[in-house]
Amino acid sequence: MAGPLDGAARGAGASRPATPEDAVLGLSPRLVFEPASEAEAVEAMQACARDGLRVLVVGGGTDLALGHAPAAVDAVLRTGRLTGVVEHSPHDQIVRALAGTTLAALQAHLAPHGQRLALDPPFPSRATLGGLVCANGFGPLRASRGSTRDLVIGATLVRADGVLARGGGKVVKNVAGFDLPRLLVGSLGTLGLLTTVNFRLHPLPEAQATVRFGGLGAAGVRRVVKAVLAAQVEPAALAAHLGAEGGPLALGVRFEGFGPGVAGQVERLLAAATQGGLPGDRLDEPAAAAFWAEHASARERGPFRARLAAPPAAAEAMAASLEALVRALPGGSAGWYPTLGLGFAGGAPAGAAAVAASLGAARQALGALGGSVVVSAAPEAVRAALDPWGAPPAAPVLALMRRLKAQLDPEGRLAPGRMVGGI
Amino acid sequence: MEPLSEAARADLAHRMAAVVGAAHVVTDPAELLVYECDGLTHGRTRPDLVVLPASTAEAAEVVKLAAAAGLPIVPRGAGTGLSGGARPVPGCVVVSLARMRRILEVDLENGWVRVEPGVINLDVTRAVAGAGWYYAPDPSSQGVCTIGGNVAENSGGAHCLKYGFTTNHVLSARLVLDDGTVADLGGPVADGPGYDLLAALVGSEGMLGLVTEVTLRLLRKPEATRTFLAIFPSTDEAGEAVSQIIAAGILPAAIEMMDSLAIKAAKAATGLGWPEDCALLLMDADGPAPEVEHVHRRAGEIARACGARDVQVPRDEAERQLMWKGRKSAFAAVGRISPNYLVEDGVIPRSEIAAVLREIGRLASGAGLRVANVFHAGDGNLHPLVLYDAANPGEEARAAALGGDILRLCIRVGGSITGEHGVGAEKAAYMAEQFGPDDLETMMRVRCAFDGAARFNPGKVFPTPRLCGEKPGPYLPHPAEAAGLAERW
Repeated sequence: MAGPLDGAARGAGASRPATPEDAVLGLSPRLVFEPASEAEAVEAMQACARDGLRVLVVGGGTDLALGHAPAAVDAVLRTGRLTGVVEHSPHDQIVRALAGTTLAALQAHLAPHGQRLALDPPFPSRATLGGLVCANGFGPLRASRGSTRDLVIGATLVRADGVLARGGGKVVKNVAGFDLPRLLVGSLGTLGLLTTVNFRLHPLPEAQATVRFGGLGAAGVRRVVKAVLAAQVEPAALAAHLGAEGGPLALGVRFEGFGPGVAGQVERLLAAATQGGLPGDRLDEPAAAAFWAEHASARERGPFRARLAAPPAAAEAMAASLEALVRALPGGSAGWYPTLGLGFAGGAPAGAAAVAASLGAARQALGALGGSVVVSAAPEAVRAALDPWGAPPAAPVLALMRRLKAQLDPEGRLAPGRMVGGI
Repeated sequence: MEPLSEAARADLAHRMAAVVGAAHVVTDPAELLVYECDGLTHGRTRPDLVVLPASTAEAAEVVKLAAAAGLPIVPRGAGTGLSGGARPVPGCVVVSLARMRRILEVDLENGWVRVEPGVINLDVTRAVAGAGWYYAPDPSSQGVCTIGGNVAENSGGAHCLKYGFTTNHVLSARLVLDDGTVADLGGPVADGPGYDLLAALVGSEGMLGLVTEVTLRLLRKPEATRTFLAIFPSTDEAGEAVSQIIAAGILPAAIEMMDSLAIKAAKAATGLGWPEDCALLLMDADGPAPEVEHVHRRAGEIARACGARDVQVPRDEAERQLMWKGRKSAFAAVGRISPNYLVEDGVIPRSEIAAVLREIGRLASGAGLRVANVFHAGDGNLHPLVLYDAANPGEEARAAALGGDILRLCIRVGGSITGEHGVGAEKAAYMAEQFGPDDLETMMRVRCAFDGAARFNPGKVFPTPRLCGEKPGPYLPHPAEAAGLAERW
């Protein structure tokens, strides 16, 4: 849909014609924007608005395939140059950073101050802050520190019409106005271009220790969780994973804090678990690091990946769904957060039909419990045979989502169709 | 908007009564007095009528009737809000959720409880405490305020530094929209597909719809809680201690500060033997015993190193409760030392506490008034209490002006005009100082997505409301609606 106004868009800040390498998700954009500042991001979005261009925002690409592929894309806006910490106030434990900053770069900036953003998704050197917010990325620390939604305190976005708007602020406690930053969590770039994100920070723990329980089934995982409750300990992370080709689960429980507190909690958990017939191993530092690296890699493996959600108490249903998916994904594996009721399965699909069958079964089993299974990546052939979202929300809720989209992006130009229900 | 004629009002009351029962429609002028204001009593507007539905189905019918009559709806919980969020607008129907106070379902296996909006905050914890669980957000009014009001205001409390605010603990909400449609936002299972509409709802101050059910996350009661009361020469040292404790990697469950005037008031109300002419820090550490003991000791050492004259540890739970009673009663206690006072609510970066308190003192002297400070120091949430005597001509206006100056100071240092009380009717004017027109217009678009008719709680939060559909958007304003609303604003 090249038009007479195309030239204007091409002349705006930091745009260039697309090359075949710029194709994403099977779509070939005509233009690529790579703004290096908030001002350039505004210019780019204004140019797209003027020319009616459909825009796909691309961060680190770790969750780019989450949801439907957009129906069409005229321009890709990459946030790779929109990087840097704008403000870090160690005393106030807050940070403001541009959305294209990678998580690893942010953590490197914060570590010398003894602080971190308590988010630990896989691929921190690729995942960007904006992408983490838009795709609701998380890792094992979510068990204690909550999700992106619990850590984001402010955001600046450029709307589809090129208007820059702020929500929230840079103090942790703040109820002035509607909560735009949290509303953007999981919005997949369909409501606006996130340019700056403000987070609350946490201190880096003085000490940490991991206890590993191996050879578990769903019932065993459930018993360890019960032992955690019985011992009245508060783990920073509690996560399991399933090796390739299924097999038993390995569960790690990590404690963080001050030396005496960590040591005391490890002892108590080991005692409570042993009493329940569940011998756990306290891992030394290299072994603990290896365990958590193994977990991250087990969680997101292969060209097909899915996110599963179920009530935390439905451990058997979750474990069965993860196992069934992994069986349909040769060389695949899975990660599971039992206290959150969230899981991930991934691998290389043997064929579209086999994956579709186990996906359908998992959706039926978890959907009946109020849960969901969302496909976050798939090879194109498999993708074409699947609905990445599964059952849409109830009609009145979906209608509200459509109205929200229509308010913020009335022309439907931002990643059109990517969201649930083809929003 | 023109008030309804007597006949039209009687007719509407009659139709409302057919839905909720005649006993639950209030039209008597004397009874309507109760609903003229919320906890912020100096602004009053009498509603046309008050309706108290007992179920979601009744609430939906009530909304439809009000909409058919073209009347705005002002939702109301316990009316304890401090920003005029539940203050009626002329010619409105107040919908009180006070009759919807059942706890509907408790699921401890998955850690949640489903309640009606009229349930008292503290009653949620009471319902599950026996099993070792609790509901974390604890506004000082928790013995009387309702969950519905907490959702509207995104209420906080003393313990939100560690545990977060209402928004971090709401898993789902049932919402009646302006056309009577019922929508369930969120759910007890995490990460449902689609936009996080619940994030927009919590803290929207009753402007998106009527909430008729809420699912709340419950937490396990921590094994141990240790408390100390540290006495400092002044707020300078106390503020520094807060910074140092947090910088040491400690995340207290609560850390509260009171200045000398607030202490004087609390003593007058409770008879506590606290010293005067000082500043107090009250700190809770909670969690597993081994961690808590360490944190408690280390924070106490830091307090001393920062100049605390004394660090008192309560001998038992009764003494601990008494210390907290002194803190929680401080607002009301100020009534003992001043005929009238304004409660402000602002947020500043924690590192600015000492400087901002000095500046507040300077502003107060300039205005010839006294300000008592009692606040959540850990998250920089100030509650300056501006003392005045309404009997002295001009003093009330001076107090209001001083309150405004304090809010502007909060904005200037990078903070916020409200940390937990909400914007409501009272602070809408200051929103334009904290946010730009585009920021506010974007928030209003969110409102338009939910409530295109601007039916719910109009006139709150936004200094210059826009009608949905004014700018390019899918919704055209209903002509009669637009005319009526334009007049009211």
